[in-house]
Amino acid sequence: MALQLYKNEMSGSFYSWRGGAWIVAASMIFSLVAYLLLTDKELSLLDQGEMLFTLSEIVISLAIIMSVTLASSAISSEIELGTFESLLLTPLTGKQIAFQKLLSIITIWFLLYAVSIPYLLVISSGTNLSLSAIFYTGFYGTILVTAFSSLSIAISARVRSSKNSIMISLMILLILLAPSIFFATSLKKTSFGIALENINPVSHTMNSLDSVIVDNQQSPSEQDIHLASVIVFAVVCLLILLRLSHQFEVKPIQ
Amino acid sequence: MTVSAKKDSTYNTNNNTNNSRINDNSITTSKLSKTFENFKAVDSLTIKVDSGDIFGFLGPNGAGKTTTIRMLCGLLLPSSGSGKVGGYDIIKDSAKIRHIIGLLPESSGFYGWMNAEEYLTHFALLYKIDSDVARKRTKDLLEKMGLAEKAFAPISYYSRGMKQRLGLARILINEPHIIFLDEPTLGLDPKGQVEIRKVLLELNREKGVTILLSSHALREVSSLCNKIAIIDRGQLVSQGNIDELRLQSGLEQKIVIRVANNLRGRQRLANLPFSAAIETDNGSHLINIIIHNLSPISAVRNNNNNVDDDYHDDGINSILSHLMNQGLQIHDVQRPEIDLEEIFFKLIDSRQNNDDDNDAGVGLVEKRVREEKPREVRPH
Repeated sequence: MALQLYKNEMSGSFYSWRGGAWIVAASMIFSLVAYLLLTDKELSLLDQGEMLFTLSEIVISLAIIMSVTLASSAISSEIELGTFESLLLTPLTGKQIAFQKLLSIITIWFLLYAVSIPYLLVISSGTNLSLSAIFYTGFYGTILVTAFSSLSIAISARVRSSKNSIMISLMILLILLAPSIFFATSLKKTSFGIALENINPVSHTMNSLDSVIVDNQQSPSEQDIHLASVIVFAVVCLLILLRLSHQFEVKPIQ
Repeated sequence: MTVSAKKDSTYNTNNNTNNSRINDNSITTSKLSKTFENFKAVDSLTIKVDSGDIFGFLGPNGAGKTTTIRMLCGLLLPSSGSGKVGGYDIIKDSAKIRHIIGLLPESSGFYGWMNAEEYLTHFALLYKIDSDVARKRTKDLLEKMGLAEKAFAPISYYSRGMKQRLGLARILINEPHIIFLDEPTLGLDPKGQVEIRKVLLELNREKGVTILLSSHALREVSSLCNKIAIIDRGQLVSQGNIDELRLQSGLEQKIVIRVANNLRGRQRLANLPFSAAIETDNGSHLINIIIHNLSPISAVRNNNNNVDDDYHDDGINSILSHLMNQGLQIHDVQRPEIDLEEIFFKLIDSRQNNDDDNDAGVGLVEKRVREEKPREVRPH
């Protein structure tokens, strides 16, 4: 059966609450953020577009963290559990194993995204931003989840230890997700800072969402550079996964 | 020794196996090697397992058995050399090999949150077996392995023995033609061990499945396998049936004749016309006459290169006649079997002694360089 491993991954995710926990946690965070945006004395003073942008940012950030956490142990946990050999001995190819695992993470993202839609609708009520916010959040979320999951699965297969794989993946994510932690404003303006900002898919996503939701530039043609950068990043990550999945082999423990 | 039955394989599978190879369940390797960085795990290994063999694959820890099995199953790429499993090349045709083999590793993992029924059905579906057939096979295998009663309990609650039986059921779900077993009875209670052995013999005799069995349980190997290979430090030490291994080991088949321990007996035994060791225990009423080599009788071999028992018997008879003519009272005649354990240790010790002798006087650097160069497989 073509998607048997995918089905197994989904059952495993929800049986062990790996996937379910993310959905529950995400809905709690969305509720809290929405509540604060609407009731907090200072936050409620924000422009409605900025409120919506904040929520979109949180949806995307949570999606990336979720995908990195789940994907970075996708292969290594099978190796550690001793189940990877039996998977490799089935007619499934390395590519099929990797991509069915990727698909299961994207499915969990879709569930998380579905949970976020009512919150996006509530925050954007009374504006013409609802559809754009839902579309761009879904689009960028899907591309970034695909990209980060692919990269993390590849790291997981390469490093073969869940602990190290999660650590490396989170480190990459941290660098991309929060450049402000590492770079002061003056450093951001240096050529290195500008170069990093230009290749950072997370920055492009956030800048694009800001442009669509806050500045009301909703046409895709106005977002072409951001869209292209994020898509190129995703393609590179998928190619890395494709290349590594051809080389799955089990090394004996000496 | 139990000799496995060799039958044509008429195993029906849903797999896309080629009819032209369906009777070829053999395994061959030629100068197969695997190097991990500077460590040569398998070194120019050449073995031959015929269709329908139960082949014992022995060696000390770290000898390279598991690495060899992984290369044969397509889980590891060899560094050099070649191999065929069921007629398929282990490098080019690893996808085809997966359809016809089953591997039970020493420590296989399980999805603890599944039950046995779900687990086997999951693997059956991964093998693209029709869901009705998958359910039926799952049920049959669970019954065969004695797991039917616990089929719906989560695997995480299973004992090691139960998991081992479930692992064996998993590798049989695609009805493989060739199975690789790495310590299949490790950690099983005696009853479990007997049951696993029974299943293996059944598979071999009824379905002609070729079995490559890697185990440290030498008695088990001796009782199941019709051919054995012993490897050490990645190299082949010896290969053949147990008689051939015994000959290669240089261990002599001994015959013990026990005669009455009396004065006449002791006097007559002082001048025996054949070579024998005499063991007298003061407290015993018997004397042991130990004949280590029935030469030239033992050297007589039949067309199949096996020791011919008729000649053996003639040799013993002539010795017994001589003893009786001397007036000795013969109590009994014993021919203690040389077991696989003795052969294994003798072969491994001889090899290690040879290596030590060869290494004497060689500097550490020279020794390392020499070890990294491919070495010839010992003739057998």
